[in-house]
Amino acid sequence: MVDTVQSTIIGPSIVIRANLQGDEDLTVLGRVEGTINLTKTVNVAESGVVKADLTVRNAIVSGVVVGNITASDSVEITEAGRMVGDIRAPRVIIVDGARFRGTVDMGDLDAPRASGPLPARTVSSRSAAPIKGALPARGEVAKAKPLPPPMARPAPVKSAPLAAKPAAPATKPAVEAVTVPAAPIAAKKKIKKKVVVKKKGE
Amino acid sequence: MANTVIGSSIVIDGEITGDEDLVIQGTVKGKIQLKESLYVESSGVVEADIETQNIEVSGQVTGNVTASDKVELKSECRMVGDIKAPRILIADGASFKGNVDMDV
Amino acid sequence: MADTACVIGKGIQIRGNLSGSGDLVVEGRLEGHVALEDHVVVEEVGTVVADIDTRELTINGKMSGNISASGRVSISSTATMIGDVRAPRVVIEDGARFRGTIEMDVPLPNDI
Repeated sequence: MVDTVQSTIIGPSIVIRANLQGDEDLTVLGRVEGTINLTKTVNVAESGVVKADLTVRNAIVSGVVVGNITASDSVEITEAGRMVGDIRAPRVIIVDGARFRGTVDMGDLDAPRASGPLPARTVSSRSAAPIKGALPARGEVAKAKPLPPPMARPAPVKSAPLAAKPAAPATKPAVEAVTVPAAPIAAKKKIKKKVVVKKKGE
Repeated sequence: MANTVIGSSIVIDGEITGDEDLVIQGTVKGKIQLKESLYVESSGVVEADIETQNIEVSGQVTGNVTASDKVELKSECRMVGDIKAPRILIADGASFKGNVDMDV
Repeated sequence: MADTACVIGKGIQIRGNLSGSGDLVVEGRLEGHVALEDHVVVEEVGTVVADIDTRELTINGKMSGNISASGRVSISSTATMIGDVRAPRVVIEDGARFRGTIEMDVPLPNDI
């Protein structure tokens, strides 16, 4: 997909201990320690290990990240991703199966909810610029195990498959405190009694 | 088989080590230690001491290069530093200043 | 699926402690503390200002409080949540608004 777009790939056996900055996408299949400053997308692939603070536009974490991520657009931790650190971004997605420990700060919570496409998860292949003179054939860029293209996330379980909710609380377990159903409550707003929900016949 | 490509807008200040080919189109300052082949393409700028198996320079290298196999300086490259390798190829047009030691 | 469910309807406000077993669906407003063994759902129209201790939690509406769950916590795309979450599985959907801490167990490689 991104063959014509500039992007950098750090292969699985490469270890970089450095401050890295750039204006292109970066895919990490190896190890990076230090800092990463990118105006585009960093994709930490499943084999990738990043021990660094990242300041980027987008981050996709399918490998290990220990460090803080500040993203101007989005951060996604995929089902294979493991991250310890703080995330500051307006759009954050943690997929079921991901492991994360840290703080999430989306800024102004009243800002409109995110929409639109997310950066693709797939590891981009890269065609290096041809060099004059014969070079040993490079062959295909070895890809990390390809991740499935972003698919519509399964519809969330909005409400658990509960028994049908009848209008009247007749079939509910007995509730100790009496509450006023349905009708708008003007004065009687707070019920100070301790409410205990019990199963019938308990 | 090149797997790692450091693109032209990337600047790395630090150390790179690895067991695979590395293509540099951007800027690397520091130190490079590779067990395979290093390609510094024409847009690449490297200010580092380099230890590798093979190196092919079409861009700019400032630093000492030690290669266990071969060093090749292509015709538009510019290199300043010492080279230590059993095989060295310097193309017509290459710009090079430094010592050469082929007795490895 | 639990065979019991408690629904706090849209026009209802409760301030207090809820405990026990069974599912809870909040469409109204709940303030206080919840310790329920099964599944708590805060619907899109619901507001919860409470610490919740439960097995599974799905937030579609507004929540402010700390969560401790033994199963999965889902902060869905219509949710707005402020608080800390401790659970083995936490999901944040695209579009969710969240600020707080998440604590999951994160296995890391030895050489990190």
